[in-house]
Amino acid sequence: MDSQCVSTLPRVCGVLLESGSSLPDDTSLEKLLDWFTTIAQTGASLLEACPCLVDFVSKVAFNHASGSSILSFTLKLTGLIGTSEDGFKVLKECSVLKLVFNPHHWQEAGLWGDPCLRIGWIQGLKMILQHSEALSFFAQEDLIEPLLQLQTDSSLFVASAANQTLAQVLLLCQSLSSVGHNCSKNRYLEHNSVSIETTQNYSGIITRVSEYLNKSVVLKEISQLPGCQQILRLLAMLLVQVGPPLRDTLLLAVMNSLEELVTTSCSQLTVPLMDVILAANSGLRDDFVPKQRLIRLLWVMLNMKKPAIVMQAAAAVLHSHHSDPTFSAHSARVLLLPLDIVTGVSLLDENSTEEELRILITEQLKRKSCISMICVCLSNIPQITLMASDHLPCPQRLIVTAVLMLLRLCCVDSSSSSAGCVEVVRFITGNSKVQKCALEALLVLSKSPGVKMVLVDVFKVLTEYLNSPSSDPSVLQKSYQAVIKWVGVCPDLSCITDQLREGFIQAVRKRACDTRWEARDSTVEFLGHLGGAPSCRSFTEQETEPSDVFLGGCSFTVPLLKEALQDPESYVRASSISALAQTLTPSWQEGAALTQEQEDIVTRLQEVLFQDSEGFARRAAVKYFIAWLSACSSPSSCWLLMQSVPTVLSQGVNDLDWEVKLHTLELAELLLDQAFPDPSPSHPYAVMSDQAHRLHIAGQQSDLLSSLKDLVDRGVVSALLCGVVDCDRPVALKACQLLLKLRGVVCPVMGNAADTRVFCQLAEGSVMQQVRKIQAMGKDTYVVSEACSEADKEGICASVDPERVGVCEVLRLLDLDEKLSILTQSSDHIYNSPLSLLQDILTAAAASSQPGRDLHQELVMDCY
Amino acid sequence: MKLYCLSGHPTLPCNVLKFKSTTIMLDCGLDTTSVLNFLPLPLVHSPRLSKLPGWISKDGSINLEKELKECAGRVFVDSQPEFCLPERELLDLSTIDVILISNYHCMMALPYITEHTGFTGTVYATEPTLQIGRLLMEELVNFMERVPKAQSATCWKNKEIQRMLPGPLKDAVDVWTWKRCYSMQEVNSALSKVQLVGYSQKVELFGAVQVSPLSSGYSLGSSNWIIQSHHEKVSYVSGSSLLTTHPQPMDQSSLKNSDVLILTGLTQMPTANPDGMLGEFCSNLAMTIRAGGNVLVPCYSSGVIYDLLECLYQFIESANLGTTPFYFISPVANSSLEFSQIFAEWLCHNKQTKVYLPEPPFPHAELIQTNKLKHYPSIHGDFSSEFRQPCVVFTGHPSLRFGDVVHFMELWGKSSLNTVIFTEPDFSYLDALAPYQPLAMKCVYCPIDTRLNFHQVSKLLKEVQPLHVVCPEQYTQPPLTQSHRSDLMLELQPPPMPYRRCSVLNLPFRRRYERVYILPELANSLVPSEVKPGVSVATVSAVLQSKDNKHTLQSVPKAPPVAPSKKRKRVMEEPPVTMAPKPLLSGAVPLEAFLATLQKHGITEVKVEETADGHILHLQAEDTLIQLEEDGTHIVCDNNEPLRATLRDLVLRFLQKL
Repeated sequence: MDSQCVSTLPRVCGVLLESGSSLPDDTSLEKLLDWFTTIAQTGASLLEACPCLVDFVSKVAFNHASGSSILSFTLKLTGLIGTSEDGFKVLKECSVLKLVFNPHHWQEAGLWGDPCLRIGWIQGLKMILQHSEALSFFAQEDLIEPLLQLQTDSSLFVASAANQTLAQVLLLCQSLSSVGHNCSKNRYLEHNSVSIETTQNYSGIITRVSEYLNKSVVLKEISQLPGCQQILRLLAMLLVQVGPPLRDTLLLAVMNSLEELVTTSCSQLTVPLMDVILAANSGLRDDFVPKQRLIRLLWVMLNMKKPAIVMQAAAAVLHSHHSDPTFSAHSARVLLLPLDIVTGVSLLDENSTEEELRILITEQLKRKSCISMICVCLSNIPQITLMASDHLPCPQRLIVTAVLMLLRLCCVDSSSSSAGCVEVVRFITGNSKVQKCALEALLVLSKSPGVKMVLVDVFKVLTEYLNSPSSDPSVLQKSYQAVIKWVGVCPDLSCITDQLREGFIQAVRKRACDTRWEARDSTVEFLGHLGGAPSCRSFTEQETEPSDVFLGGCSFTVPLLKEALQDPESYVRASSISALAQTLTPSWQEGAALTQEQEDIVTRLQEVLFQDSEGFARRAAVKYFIAWLSACSSPSSCWLLMQSVPTVLSQGVNDLDWEVKLHTLELAELLLDQAFPDPSPSHPYAVMSDQAHRLHIAGQQSDLLSSLKDLVDRGVVSALLCGVVDCDRPVALKACQLLLKLRGVVCPVMGNAADTRVFCQLAEGSVMQQVRKIQAMGKDTYVVSEACSEADKEGICASVDPERVGVCEVLRLLDLDEKLSILTQSSDHIYNSPLSLLQDILTAAAASSQPGRDLHQELVMDCY
Repeated sequence: MKLYCLSGHPTLPCNVLKFKSTTIMLDCGLDTTSVLNFLPLPLVHSPRLSKLPGWISKDGSINLEKELKECAGRVFVDSQPEFCLPERELLDLSTIDVILISNYHCMMALPYITEHTGFTGTVYATEPTLQIGRLLMEELVNFMERVPKAQSATCWKNKEIQRMLPGPLKDAVDVWTWKRCYSMQEVNSALSKVQLVGYSQKVELFGAVQVSPLSSGYSLGSSNWIIQSHHEKVSYVSGSSLLTTHPQPMDQSSLKNSDVLILTGLTQMPTANPDGMLGEFCSNLAMTIRAGGNVLVPCYSSGVIYDLLECLYQFIESANLGTTPFYFISPVANSSLEFSQIFAEWLCHNKQTKVYLPEPPFPHAELIQTNKLKHYPSIHGDFSSEFRQPCVVFTGHPSLRFGDVVHFMELWGKSSLNTVIFTEPDFSYLDALAPYQPLAMKCVYCPIDTRLNFHQVSKLLKEVQPLHVVCPEQYTQPPLTQSHRSDLMLELQPPPMPYRRCSVLNLPFRRRYERVYILPELANSLVPSEVKPGVSVATVSAVLQSKDNKHTLQSVPKAPPVAPSKKRKRVMEEPPVTMAPKPLLSGAVPLEAFLATLQKHGITEVKVEETADGHILHLQAEDTLIQLEEDGTHIVCDNNEPLRATLRDLVLRFLQKL
């Protein structure tokens, strides 16, 4: 630790002791604690590093005048010190421990009512509970009582922390008792006495916890509901975390209460109750008696008279991946019931046990609450599709049919009527929540086996949604996603008829002109995704692009996207640029000849880069060129691309938006990588003659020279030199990394010979000045001489043009490594250092304790 | 109270309410869907239309070549289009006292009602309703008179012949009552009978009822009406809207506590959300223009067009349509656009505040200023020289049977690049397009109907709680095409009373009270006595005078002092001896106290028997019965008048006298 910190810390402790509750910035205590935690985590002893802390803790403990935030901090700090056994001993010896963790002490001082103090107490306690010493202390001081009381504290934070601490206690009991058990067999007698005592402690604690849980899992009146929910959450957490013997004990203790609780059929308890039952159920031995009782409980939950509870319980079973297929099959049936009833598609065979539930759910579906019930059903379809097909109540294809039917019923313009529940139609028609859930389900169902038969229906319904004037933009987006998904799984799109295609094209064309920008944006995005979708096989065994099948290919898509480049909404402009890149990628990969349209697009993109007021569009424009460059099979032969790159680089690196600059540097990186591809790894033991080696070097030099010249010509080097002095750290960092890469490739091979010198023009004087400033900070001050006209001597500045610099020289002379190390640190590393924190506390305290300070003046100062 | 239903059209109502000796007509809508059976009236000679084959029945027995033409399998009457009028035989139109107009679309039949029928009453309407209604009528007359047809087809109306005709013509009802359009003179005469009213203004009708218009939020100056007497209230809800468009918002609270609510003019497109339709309109328009086509919007010259223009004002910039010309062609285009800007007090709050800036309330002023929107009275004249394509044309009539729209249909119908976008919900677009088939032009149907939908109306009715609701029968069942949508109908308790054309409904509501005034001097003479805290009663003797539906209590004229006559002509002439009126009694006889009193007076042997209404006291010694009941006391004793009188007095002690 920093010696300055060590010397400052006692003063800070003093200030904290004196300041009472008037600490100006209460986050500083959190930061201080974080710092101590970091020290403790490094393995160093906190007390050795900061010996003044014990004194501080004991003083605060005996002095009630401190504010609750300081007290809470102290409690947590005590816990942190006590985490290690040594620290624990020290605290115990100076009798701080007993005092600090004695709730009566705080109650008498009238401070226990403050949740801030209680949370400090719990977190402190949780921290010390790491070793047997602490557990003995916990047991001796009978801290289990107050801890149990806090389980249902009025403050949710306190209650939750208390739950976790209790779990920690039990886990510690469990781990120590297993160790103790092993020890007792192997070790000497003197250890046994301790072990027996400890074991007694453990069993006492476990008994208390079991009694407590058994007593608390009750619901006699509605006011007990929040407490009961909290205890169920605790129980579920414990059952997941603790291991067999303890788990069984806890389970046996609460079994009766659980059974009683289930009979209350309180819907608010369904979820936590199911969590408990399922947590308890997993991993239990079949012969274990409570297992049978648990299974019975599960059946009771799944056969309640309240449909909402049954649905929630069934959903919980499916989500828990319950191992018993009978349960998951039953749950799937329950969850599919509403869909069966609403659509009239018989997903479930006649089953008399479900008849009663069917009647109940049908009644429920006639009310407005049907929306949530249908949504629960739909949102669980992904889980149902994961089930093995022999446990499914019906083929997945039927579920797709039912979902399609539901989507038709929900569509305002559709005149479909179902064979199912008629009353529900009034609630679901035009309801975008149900529509979205159903489309989500349809997305998942695309992977179902045997769905090829319903493919046409799927596309019909989706086209209907895309066409419907009342579709919400979010519904449109989901519909587009579904189209992409289904196209993706379709091996063959031959079933798409001309009529369907025409309808689809009309819908997309219309949406591209929608008044809502969200709809236009989704449309444009969709066009991009469809353009990028993998090709599929038609019945003639020819590979076809999905966008060709659906939209007639680029001749439809590109003009539409070009139009969207003029959109008034910047998001749409940005999306259309990305979509164009996606759409054109295949033709770039094939190296197809450029069309006039593509030339127009490039012109427009340059306009965007120069003139667009929004960053999104400009970012997308740079990314377009990145995509082009990466996809282009031979970039150097694509004149338009090569012509545009220098403009993009010089404009992009000077953009106001840091992301645009960063993307520009990514483009530069791509060019860099293409200019200097990674050398193929030569055989490590290959013998190269001296002459060959020299020739190799010479060859390398000339290759590098030409590549470097290329890079300079394309503006890559000036972009990097511009970026490295950028005020945005990520930009400067990226540029620095790239320059280092360039230096690593170029400098070792290239000498200082005049014929290998490459000069680079820097676009702006200010950038040049900054480069010079960096040079000036370097050690070789002679190279920065403004008047340097002897290029052959130093080679930094060209004789004719003071804004020209020699690349290799600059790379060598700029202290890039130093710069990299500075840039790698976060920009606030100085302000966030522990020393700075300590000094802040001292300064703030000094300012607040200054006698005769003028409050009014301070206020005025604050205003400025 | 009776309601005579002269029109079965739910949004073009014409009903007559007979209420408290007044006869009030509620709206007089003109059903123009009949014109769909006629051939379009082209402004410029159309070779296509003139070459259409005449119709001859299959067996050749009926030849109506001159009257009926066949186009794409349908038969149309080649004559001046005719309208289906409200029923005129159900009651004598001359007996109508007043006509209340709720909006300019619901007054188009006015000349048929007020002219040549002996009508002598008054028409009440708001100013925008009158002015825009006048524009619409003027436009209609202009459309018809511009293209006069020499012949008038009547043979096809012959019942025997009509029965043999194909398609919709065969099923047209009451074709003999169909009438050609009125003249401008009739319009002027009809409108001269209009008296202007403002929202919430109370108009007394013969002292019997008071009528008052309320804002209905549907169109400029549109209103619902309250018709009330002192104890009864009838609300008439016609086209109303709860959406935020240009007119003043709907006044809902004044509709509360109605005995009867007559509900008409709900949306004709219950499943089409106006916002969605507006979006659809814009995207289809942009799509067509971008592809180089023209857009034709058949519309009325006032109403939704203001909202369409406002929506386009925002949209054209964003859709890069800045250079596309928008044309509005109507004989009254200029007046309509200008009128909309001057009725500030009838506009919604936002638009009203603009006036104080001062700015024109509607943005179409700016569109005109920047030359983006141009308006012309017709396609002739300036328009033909300034016409540029691709463009957007707004013009009437939405039925596509007359007006400038016919020309554009002929001009643009052949190209699939062009689009016709229907925004008015009054006509079936397929029927409107029938005489233009085969048509290459794209057709888009985005009906924008801002009137109340079933969801809104059921919420409204829940709030205003009328005792009875009367509505067109169409609202009591789901639409035919969507029979599964039970939410697209009125579900009320008690169920609404449906009406259809020619129905006469006896409204289930009895007049139980009348307000009677009392003259001050008579009031002064009253001696009230308190029967219970806060309630005093007094007896009054007076003469009831009823005049002009007002009832007044006046003092009884004092009998003139009898002049001492010398001769007694007849005994009967003597004024009757006026006895002082007996005091009115009130209160109840408490049993215990009464028994005690009886005992005090020596009557001890009393047998009390409890009955359903009170008690029977049997005074055994006196052989007398006293029946004490809630509303009467009887003393039954035989020939013992003193005892009866004593007992009566004892009873009277417990009662209060007025």
